[in-house]
Amino acid sequence: VSVTATRALDLAGEVLEACRGEDAQVVVHRERSGLARFAGSEVHQPTLIENTVVQLRVARDGRVGGASTNRVSKDAFEALARRATDAADSSPADPHFQGFAPPAAVPEVDGYDGRTAELAAEEQAAHAAAAIEATGSFDAYGFFTSGLTELAVASTTGQAAEQSMTDVVAVVLAAGDDASGWAEQTAWAVGDVDTATVAREAAEKAAATHGAVELEPAAYPAVLEPYAFAELLGSFGSRAFGGLGLLEGSSYFCDRLGERVFDPKVSIVDDSLVPRGLPKAFDFEGVPKQRVQLVEEGVARGVVWDRRTAARAGVGTASTGHGLPSEFARFGPMPLAPFVAPGDADSVDELAERIGDGIYVTRLHYLNTVNPREGIVTGMTRDGTFRIRGGKRAEPLVNLRFTVSVPEFLADVPGLTTERKLVNLTAFYGDRYVFGAVVPAVASARFNVTGIGSRPGL
Amino acid sequence: VHDLCRQAIEVALDAGASYADARAIVRQSQLVMTKNGEVETVSDTETAGIGVRVLVGGAWGFACDRRLEDAGANDAARRAAAFARAAPGSHTRELAPLEPQRGSYRTEFERDPIEVPLADKIALCLRADEALAHDDVKVRIASVRALREEKVFLSSEGSVVEQLLVDCGGGIDAIALGDGLHQMRSYPSAHTGSSAQAGWEYVERLALEREAPRVAEEAAALLRADECPSGRTTVVIDSEQTALQVHESVGHPTELDRVYGTEASYAGTSFLSPGDLGSLRYGSPHMNITADATTPGGMGTFGYDDEGVPAARVPVVEEGVLRGFLTSRETAARIGSGAGGSMRADGWNRMPLVRMTNLHLEPGEGTLEDLLADVDDGIYLATNKSWSIDDKRLNFQFGTQVAWEIKKGKLGRLLRDATYTGITPEFWGSLDAAAGPDTWTLYGLTNCGKGQPGQIAAVSHGAPAARFRNVQVGVRA
Repeated sequence: VSVTATRALDLAGEVLEACRGEDAQVVVHRERSGLARFAGSEVHQPTLIENTVVQLRVARDGRVGGASTNRVSKDAFEALARRATDAADSSPADPHFQGFAPPAAVPEVDGYDGRTAELAAEEQAAHAAAAIEATGSFDAYGFFTSGLTELAVASTTGQAAEQSMTDVVAVVLAAGDDASGWAEQTAWAVGDVDTATVAREAAEKAAATHGAVELEPAAYPAVLEPYAFAELLGSFGSRAFGGLGLLEGSSYFCDRLGERVFDPKVSIVDDSLVPRGLPKAFDFEGVPKQRVQLVEEGVARGVVWDRRTAARAGVGTASTGHGLPSEFARFGPMPLAPFVAPGDADSVDELAERIGDGIYVTRLHYLNTVNPREGIVTGMTRDGTFRIRGGKRAEPLVNLRFTVSVPEFLADVPGLTTERKLVNLTAFYGDRYVFGAVVPAVASARFNVTGIGSRPGL
Repeated sequence: VHDLCRQAIEVALDAGASYADARAIVRQSQLVMTKNGEVETVSDTETAGIGVRVLVGGAWGFACDRRLEDAGANDAARRAAAFARAAPGSHTRELAPLEPQRGSYRTEFERDPIEVPLADKIALCLRADEALAHDDVKVRIASVRALREEKVFLSSEGSVVEQLLVDCGGGIDAIALGDGLHQMRSYPSAHTGSSAQAGWEYVERLALEREAPRVAEEAAALLRADECPSGRTTVVIDSEQTALQVHESVGHPTELDRVYGTEASYAGTSFLSPGDLGSLRYGSPHMNITADATTPGGMGTFGYDDEGVPAARVPVVEEGVLRGFLTSRETAARIGSGAGGSMRADGWNRMPLVRMTNLHLEPGEGTLEDLLADVDDGIYLATNKSWSIDDKRLNFQFGTQVAWEIKKGKLGRLLRDATYTGITPEFWGSLDAAAGPDTWTLYGLTNCGKGQPGQIAAVSHGAPAARFRNVQVGVRA
């Protein structure tokens, strides 16, 4: 199944032809998706998207410029080539440009499911209906989405890579006036997502949040479900685990590589190649994806790189296949497939037993970095925050403002669960490219609550 | 393009739609960014397509296609109708009445920013970048952006609207590093500067190169500044941070779709309810907030919104009392007030949502010095650094790039890593003075996120410097 009859890589070849011998790299990024968004137990914002975006970079004597279009024709490609060439001519030489990625074999990965690729709008709506039905006495808010993304990268160096990816995300917020619960499933095959199960999990959580009480701000031991842990890690890792942060002094890992930074129970690897996540074979520069050890038994081991930051870093550093689309490349390479090693706790209940007294957090909301160098992040808990007393989940709490140093949060980890969950980290802005983290639930000795906010529910 | 939109609407009506609208958009945007004397980004993006929105049996459907040709328009219309027909739930939607609109709108500008050669844009950034040079400043960033959007809107009710929106902007950042500290100063505002619907003359007036040495000096000085203390105190907040405070704690909670819960799964809801209109005390009598889609230069300025509703200026908060919501035709009908006028979509491939237009805190009287003069002991906070607010827009925490202590009415020590936190109505209730028009500045943001799939909107906020009593500052991790 393809978004259109022409393969993305063939289209990329047509664009290179339009460049008439210039050094160039083209990315063809195509999407066919449907998102059935629901609120108050009805679908209210259903969006079907078909698009093909062609991004071209041209290099002339070390000067690099880019342009993009979603017009697909010979004339459009020739105009695109002229614009990219003009951009290159307008630029001074880039001392860190080392040419476009050379030819390299890309790994075989999973991540494509024919049934998911063919899912029709009516079926996407039916999945939303199943979620709404299973939410029971609460109203359902959330979405079901599935999509096919085709990515091709080709360059005049001879590199030519292509991948078709499918994805499915089901999100349900079950909510009433004073209660709310959250659940999500993400996969690359629709057979691995059960929207009714997602809805029931959200509704069960919501049912436990009636009558939420306030909490005195202080540092508490805490259990974070995978949803919350993935968000916290995603926020921290966007600076800490990227090469740009290391080069520009905004990463917690600055001057700390090789040092113990977290509890020895914590190991993190960025791995786009395994089927357990949302597999990717290569990045937006056409560089094969590599598995990168970020943290090994609490010791900072490395960060991810794209070609330009690797060149800035100097001899001995090479791209790890983590380049972003050219429009986002200024943010530096990102770890888009973090995997946290599992622990030895059989369940979140066992984690609660280990901390004895503390708080239980389902998910987080509106995270922002307060101090990148120290890894300090603020945000709110949401849709399932509870007190833990005597090792058991106890009364529900209002939403809590937290301001935590992530390294301190991970410095003393009583445990992580054996079971891990793939958590979507995509908000579906711009062109579709779905990624997520595979994480266990985690217990921490220190989660700093700095304020209280609204009650659960609408 | 008019014919394409008309055709899409006809196909949608034939497919069972009771209402349909179509937007055809051609957008070109450019971004130039330099860092440490090197070109970091030169991009020139064009995107075009048609988006068709339908109501079938009271259910919305939306589909889009990049092909601005018969096949694209027809396919989008049919798919939108099919998706609407398949939508589960009981649907009873009404739209606030709207007379068919026929008109056009064009941003006023002197020099089309897209037509300014990329080489000139790069040269401007490199000059500003160079002017940021300072021994302690390790990362120097300068950027400019430009956008031109041609948009045609037709509806089955007979509206035909054509618009040309042009905007541009720029900014500089200096990041100083030393002794494990990471400190940033920006101009004219954080997060890639400020933008306006205007021609290139707006970017030239920003005078990035002229301001750069001061910005670099302040970033470097922060390395030697004391950390902002913790406690409750009086704060005076500069117009830029006040503008963001308006955005997060007034703009989003007064979006009526949030009030009705349709953003619950992502951006969140609101602490407000429809019944609060006209009675809820949002803040002190010094608080006057206006939503104005006609503000010259505003990033949320238009002739017509994406439902074809003409631009208007409406009060949101008057003397501290809630007077208005930001609405769509659907939400306006639910509340029985107004005709909408705040619906915007992020391009042709997204469905319109209730978005802020330009939301302003109206000025009071006096100068910044007057605000400071009545502070015996407090903190002056300037330029946003971090922001976070809860799902109902009650509990917020902001960080600013820079702060100064205020002692006996005068600015004193420079302070770093300042934060403040509060609860929205309590905080606005503590507003005891807004400075006069001389401090009122219009800032254009380009990074407001909402919706699933995600949409980015550009909005502007004008705000004066403002003073708030008994505010918690210096939140620690």
